[in-house]
Amino acid sequence: MPSHAGTPAPDAVPDADSGLAGSPETGPLIEARDVTRVYRRPRTSLTRPGEAVHALNGVSLTVRRGERFGIVGESGSGKSTLLRLLCALDQPTSGVIRFDGQDLAGRSERRLRFLRRSLQIVFQDPMSSLDPRMRVRDLVAEPLVALGEPVGGRVADLLDEVGLPASAADRYPHQFSGGQRQRIAIARALAPRPKVLVADEPVSALDVSVRGQILNLLADLVDELGLTLVFVSHDLSVVRHVCETVAVMNGGEIVETGPVDDVWAAPRHPYTRTLLEAVPTLEDVL
Amino acid sequence: MRLRVNAGLVAGAVLVGLVVLAALVSFVWTPHDPTLVDAAGKLRDPGDGYLLGADKFGRDTLSQLMVGARTTLYVGIVAVGIAALLGTPLGVIAGMTPYGWLSELVMRVNDLVFAFPALLLAVMLGAVYGAGTLTAMIAIGVATVPAFARVARAATLQVMVTDYILAARAAGRRGTAIAFRHVLPNIGSMLIVQASVSFAIAILAEAALSFLGFGTRPPTPSWGRMLQESQELLFSTPRLALWPGLAIALAVLGFNLLGDGLRDHLDPKLRRIRAER
Amino acid sequence: MLSVEGLSVSAESVRLVREVSFAIAPGERVGLIGESGSGKSLTALALMGLLPEGVTATGTARLREHDLLGVPEGRLKRLRGRDVSMVFQEPMTALNPLMRVGAQVAEVMTLHGEPAARARERAVELLDRVRLPRPGQIARAYPHQLSGGQRQRVMLAIALANEPDLLICDEPTTALDVTVQKQMLELIAEVAPALLFITHDLAVVASICERVLVMYGGRVVETGPIREVFARPRHRYTEGLLAASRLTPRGTRLPTIQGSVPPAGRFPDGCVFRNRCPQAGPACETEPTLTGDGHAFACWHPGA
Repeated sequence: MPSHAGTPAPDAVPDADSGLAGSPETGPLIEARDVTRVYRRPRTSLTRPGEAVHALNGVSLTVRRGERFGIVGESGSGKSTLLRLLCALDQPTSGVIRFDGQDLAGRSERRLRFLRRSLQIVFQDPMSSLDPRMRVRDLVAEPLVALGEPVGGRVADLLDEVGLPASAADRYPHQFSGGQRQRIAIARALAPRPKVLVADEPVSALDVSVRGQILNLLADLVDELGLTLVFVSHDLSVVRHVCETVAVMNGGEIVETGPVDDVWAAPRHPYTRTLLEAVPTLEDVL
Repeated sequence: MRLRVNAGLVAGAVLVGLVVLAALVSFVWTPHDPTLVDAAGKLRDPGDGYLLGADKFGRDTLSQLMVGARTTLYVGIVAVGIAALLGTPLGVIAGMTPYGWLSELVMRVNDLVFAFPALLLAVMLGAVYGAGTLTAMIAIGVATVPAFARVARAATLQVMVTDYILAARAAGRRGTAIAFRHVLPNIGSMLIVQASVSFAIAILAEAALSFLGFGTRPPTPSWGRMLQESQELLFSTPRLALWPGLAIALAVLGFNLLGDGLRDHLDPKLRRIRAER
Repeated sequence: MLSVEGLSVSAESVRLVREVSFAIAPGERVGLIGESGSGKSLTALALMGLLPEGVTATGTARLREHDLLGVPEGRLKRLRGRDVSMVFQEPMTALNPLMRVGAQVAEVMTLHGEPAARARERAVELLDRVRLPRPGQIARAYPHQLSGGQRQRVMLAIALANEPDLLICDEPTTALDVTVQKQMLELIAEVAPALLFITHDLAVVASICERVLVMYGGRVVETGPIREVFARPRHRYTEGLLAASRLTPRGTRLPTIQGSVPPAGRFPDGCVFRNRCPQAGPACETEPTLTGDGHAFACWHPGA
């Protein structure tokens, strides 16, 4: 069910404290209410503080359990800021973000353990998101080690799950191709058996011939493991392939949200229309 | 990938290797006792068992140089050790919390120490606690802390904005684990470079202090003091100044070349630029 | 107008581009498609005489009556920016951050003999031609004051300053947002005298080019009019790439090409694609030649 920005649908959870209301299978897992994030530019004058930049302006969204939720936007749309907030890697200036009914605001890293266990991220560029000085074994095991969980034979299982040989564990990230590195990043994200996988432009840095492999792998894993997926991309056609629901962002706001097929077929906001028309397609030529 | 080592790195390693070798050999063997005063052999010319001759007390120059290398390395290791052990954590903390008050404090104190000449500090310490190798080492070490802190902070700032730090945070890693697992291994190469350059500066500083009489006390041989003792004979017997001078120059050159070579060799960005050229 | 014959590029013992031949007629827009490591950018750099040191090009390339390969740097300098010019992927690093953009546009003209006053005037005209709003103001701005799209337009103005015969664009829109990309592509199509457009994005090529060269492992594996190549790809690589580029609706599996692009110098002998090709057989151990008139391909087991 789509819920439009700023105006929660009637069936959205009305009461903050009953976050687990509704069937546990379909209830909201991630909720953002009226979230704003203001950055201050470094000051350029002695008397005035630095200019305020509104990276996010009153954003609300609901991600249901088991849903594949896409966030689409161009650079400067606020999608990266929103993603960081949802992952509690940054704090909102105002507004509420709840994960599984629990408010994320103002928690110390120690009190975010439940989130770190349940929510894991795959970043855009696997070359820069994997520490070049660590072996694949340590990279994949890192979330487990950080959470104080036993590693055991899990690394080999995880590598197998993403289609890499067990021998990959002893090598360094630079010894792999882009697609293989992204598989390593996915294995790492799956290590603590999360409920939610957040993927930030996971195929944007990859060659076209490899993109399909990674998208297929993500789809398979989400199905098999019953994951909730939050998928951020600048490309609406990729989101259409992966997600059920999409939120379109522009200028720090969600301008349109709904089932991706509806948004794709009949965009209502002018910006969504512009975005759709701008995407070049192979059909242009045929 | 082929391993292409640059000429400077090799030259630096050879020079440093020579100093280390001389120091190591001096533990088990020197041509003569470097502290043995022999009035008869005063200002003995080179030759006849005394390869580089003897000084005004009849002490063998080569033996003194060899044991002096020991002093030099000893001072360098301790001074650089102090600087690295204090400077690295300060720099890493400052780099990991760039907007915190601690970071601000560290960097301001750093500026203060940086503005204070190392030699002056050593002379002051020497005046208070008595001159000696240990005072010199501590003074040189403390004065080198800011250099390490700065390099560590700059390198840490670069590492902290990378995606893999974000990824580590998202994986649930906390500050200290990130510092040890991700930051230190990634800034290590820059610290090694800084260490070898600081080593060269420490050698020079120790020589200067000993020359001024605030460093190594007699009778322990030191290159700086050998220079000082040769001062009055500079015109009559210049070789007495030549050998320790040459030893200091070559050791400093060696550590600097080693530092520059390591910088080029360990920094993948520079290596790529060289490969593209 | 441009004709390239047997262009090879090697770094020491590794051949990065092999025997590439093609031609571009005046006014024609040709796309050069390839993934990372295909040699597409090296091909362009070879034509510009901008190969990094230690990387050498052999073969012939002629732009009208001028040779582009094996010519001393002094003569290339006169050609570069006047007869052939290039737009790069990253507009921020290609512009001098300390110089006003108008002066940077004017500089390429004064370098090729235009008087300074006239060059300044023409710089503003050019900024207007690449449809920058208020070109007079933009000319006085520094690169960091402009958006990515605006900077790329400035790069295009610089490339067009001396009315070149050929414009080479290397992924000029990859760093831009899709909405900005669309405008940029329309502009390039409109102003380019003749165009060699390099990209990894098939859809982008489809929207701007008439003819296409598909590169893989340093070789041109297929070439022809874009409609024909995209509607009826013959080489198995082109086929796979096209299939992988079409994003099907949710719940369906995407067609993929198995494995990944090998690193430079590790492509197999014979057909460069055979270690990833589902149709590969013993015949593929021999190198196939690019055959066909108009629509040509180098494959032993071509698709229908």
